[in-house]
Amino acid sequence: MGNAVAIIGSGQTKHGRRNDVTYPDLVREAVQAALENTGLTMDDVDGVVYGSMPSMMEGVAMTHFYFADALRTVGKPMMKTETCGTTGMSLAHTGYYWIASGLADVVMVVGSEKMYEGDSQATMSTVMEPYYLRSFLAGAPGIFAMQVHEWTARYNIPSEKARDAAAKISVDHHMDALDNPHAHIKVKLTMDDVRNSRVITYPFRLWDICPNSDGACAIILASAKKAKKMCKKPAWIKGIGFCGDEYWYGDSDKVSWKCAMEAVKQAYDMAGIKNPRKELDVAEVYNPFTFVELLHYECFGFCDPGEACDLALKGVFSRGGELPCDPSGGTLCTNPIGATALIRVAEAAMQVSGLAGDHQIPGANMAFAHGLGGLSEFNGIMILGSKL
Amino acid sequence: MTKKVAVVEVAQMPGAESSDNFLDQVYRVCKEVLDKAGVSREEVGTVVSASSDVFHGGISCANAYYWDSGAGFLKSGTRQDGESLLAFQYGVMRILTGHYDTALVFGVCKGSENPPNDEITHFFTDPFYQRQIGLNETYAAALQMREYLNTYKITEEQCAGVVVKNLGNALRNPYAHIRKKVTLDEVMKSKRIMAPLKKMECAPKSEGFVALLLASEKKAKKLTNNPVWFKGFGSSMDTFYLGDRNLLKGQLENAAKRAYSMAGIKNPRKEIQLAEVTEPYAFQELLWCEDLGFCDRGKGAKFLESGATQIDGDLPVNPSGGVLSTNAYVCRGLYRLAEVVLQIKRQAGERQVDRKIKTGLAHGTHGFAGQFHAVAILGS
Amino acid sequence: MTKNYGTLKHTVWLPYNFAVGPVFLRFYEGLKEGKILGNQCLKCKKTLVPARTFCPSCNVDMGDWREVSQEGNIVSWIVANEPFLGMPIDPPFIAALIRLDGTDCSFLHLVGGFDTDTLNKKIKKGTRVRAHWRTEKKGHLMDIQYFKPK
Repeated sequence: MGNAVAIIGSGQTKHGRRNDVTYPDLVREAVQAALENTGLTMDDVDGVVYGSMPSMMEGVAMTHFYFADALRTVGKPMMKTETCGTTGMSLAHTGYYWIASGLADVVMVVGSEKMYEGDSQATMSTVMEPYYLRSFLAGAPGIFAMQVHEWTARYNIPSEKARDAAAKISVDHHMDALDNPHAHIKVKLTMDDVRNSRVITYPFRLWDICPNSDGACAIILASAKKAKKMCKKPAWIKGIGFCGDEYWYGDSDKVSWKCAMEAVKQAYDMAGIKNPRKELDVAEVYNPFTFVELLHYECFGFCDPGEACDLALKGVFSRGGELPCDPSGGTLCTNPIGATALIRVAEAAMQVSGLAGDHQIPGANMAFAHGLGGLSEFNGIMILGSKL
Repeated sequence: MTKKVAVVEVAQMPGAESSDNFLDQVYRVCKEVLDKAGVSREEVGTVVSASSDVFHGGISCANAYYWDSGAGFLKSGTRQDGESLLAFQYGVMRILTGHYDTALVFGVCKGSENPPNDEITHFFTDPFYQRQIGLNETYAAALQMREYLNTYKITEEQCAGVVVKNLGNALRNPYAHIRKKVTLDEVMKSKRIMAPLKKMECAPKSEGFVALLLASEKKAKKLTNNPVWFKGFGSSMDTFYLGDRNLLKGQLENAAKRAYSMAGIKNPRKEIQLAEVTEPYAFQELLWCEDLGFCDRGKGAKFLESGATQIDGDLPVNPSGGVLSTNAYVCRGLYRLAEVVLQIKRQAGERQVDRKIKTGLAHGTHGFAGQFHAVAILGS
Repeated sequence: MTKNYGTLKHTVWLPYNFAVGPVFLRFYEGLKEGKILGNQCLKCKKTLVPARTFCPSCNVDMGDWREVSQEGNIVSWIVANEPFLGMPIDPPFIAALIRLDGTDCSFLHLVGGFDTDTLNKKIKKGTRVRAHWRTEKKGHLMDIQYFKPK
């Protein structure tokens, strides 16, 4: 349904603490990289979509104005998509719909964040309204920690097993990030390093949690006609999905999480996927917290409910396993929030197009990308394949 | 895929600041439009909202806050920040692909929960340069107005005429915020807050909740006898630093060209019967009419004086009263669109323009001196 | 609904540390020395002020730093009569877009040196103005106190 759309290239900044540049220059870096990587100029691009986290994050409002020149969107049509943590994914969806509807042929989408310029946890506390929730939920880790406690209780997962599975994920992803030239955190960890690191919000310890990062990502999407001309191996968008549930944190079951299941169902149905663990070659899951990543594997149908820890410990979700997850290192190693979900899409596209360099999963033909947002409220999915 | 998309119904709330709870207001405006269209929440295909974190009572991730109040529970949806007409464009795109039969598009901005608009627009500035000089939208618009007056030898009285027309129109609009008969003299005597701009020439801060139900051609024809069809859309962005810009020749001309091209319009002055433009500063209505091709460059004031843009003229502009009467900053573009829809459907009550509207235009802008513009064309 | 349900009052204050980058740092240092620094696009040769990292129209890096003239013509101006958040000084004051000699964009700053009424009568499009500096400079746009009509 709709015209076929492909991702024909992307660019990322060197993510991390980027005090060396102003925010617009950071955005420009990603845009330049995408244009260089694809060999295109802005004359080839019909429109730009931009988004990031709310203004409070960096103290500049409506940054699409501030970045108009860095985005090279002057004189061009533009859209501004923002959906909290899922912004990056929603950006990719916007580019998709712009082209699939026939209203454009080539669209560039850009997400960015410069978290070191503001107080990210304070900003995230303002996501909660002041009538009721704001005093109680301690920034982002608070919400997700509650979700994890429910999950381990529901499936009778012993805390040591959950702890070990999460530690393995942390060790593996941090190792993966060493092979990703753009990743922020580059460190070699052991299981004990993770288990013994300082507690942030129980059960999350320091190495279970993503960093704050400065970074930007730009992706170029094209219609089939243009993609075939402009790109040797386009990554075709095979399925997309998005779902949101209630704002009020206590309302829905976040363990057997309908919102996540509905989002992947939309994408799997569109892509014709019935057995994700078999049919997907690689998954870039939005994973700011290790424990929560395991919960997501279950919601995404990568395994049965309650099974994720066992499989993770066996290496099923590591590089070399049946369904490698986050070979880029994932959100856990790099988290410029407005760009993070878009980076998942860029990485998935790179896998399918054979452009992931040292962290390439050999023979990857079908890739899954995921974005997460709100007070554990939104899930966005994109599935990319090497065949039209 | 579907070739055509229509607006089936609209719902809006009055612009006067209210003590109602924001979430209740979102819930009610969405419910109203769905009830009017006879579509249940479960049936709605997708939801596209427009809002802005910064005009949002200090609550970030606006979309998260009102997601379920805005009919989004377990649905696929998304959000546009800044310009609410973009939410309309995105709703149209989603239906054109054939993924969805219906789209709920709504814009929200609770003026009563926000500080004065310029306290927020000040933060559009870059921290290094323009923020240090205190720039905000009114300041930028005043600089633009001075250039407009000097370059085309237009008088301040001519600009003030827009206020008289629009607030006069608002008297017949039960949803308008500022509804009062004003004289030219009163406008001219109002405080010169940022000369040459006077207080009455600057839009107020209003409450804004507006919702539309869009549908594919087949679905629209089932839901209503008078669908209003999407004909064209265009947008365009200008460069950032005020000193780099040509304040009298911005990007509205480009945005309009794109919309006209999609809609097959060659002579806007003749082919458009009604326009709702976003004029947060009175003189801008004159300048935007020039950019939209309704009159020649520099002739915006003459165009107003000709009577053509009066509610009984041959190209009425802002029969709703425009943004000068109701300025819910983020969703004012969708309010313009809603008015065009109502006028085409002949449901505009006392302010109904008394001729058949075949093609109507809705315009949205925001940013310093109109850094970004969007234009939508609708037809009967 | 005309009933008043009251309001919940809440103030949000957040701290920021903006990375200045090398170009603005040098521009600010220029201000400390009583200089207005611009730079020139390597491609289109336009001189822009304040200095930029890249040329907005060509999207190439800027090169060639130069100290620009401190005199120019007024392009447009406004008179602020009412206080507002972020105002550079208390109103009434005059702000203007000024085309400094030899540059290719307008420079936004204040006009002063006389009382506001006098200034209002003196200024028109094209009026020549010259930068007047504060004695104590901090590396801030307001190190220039105002531009004074000649």
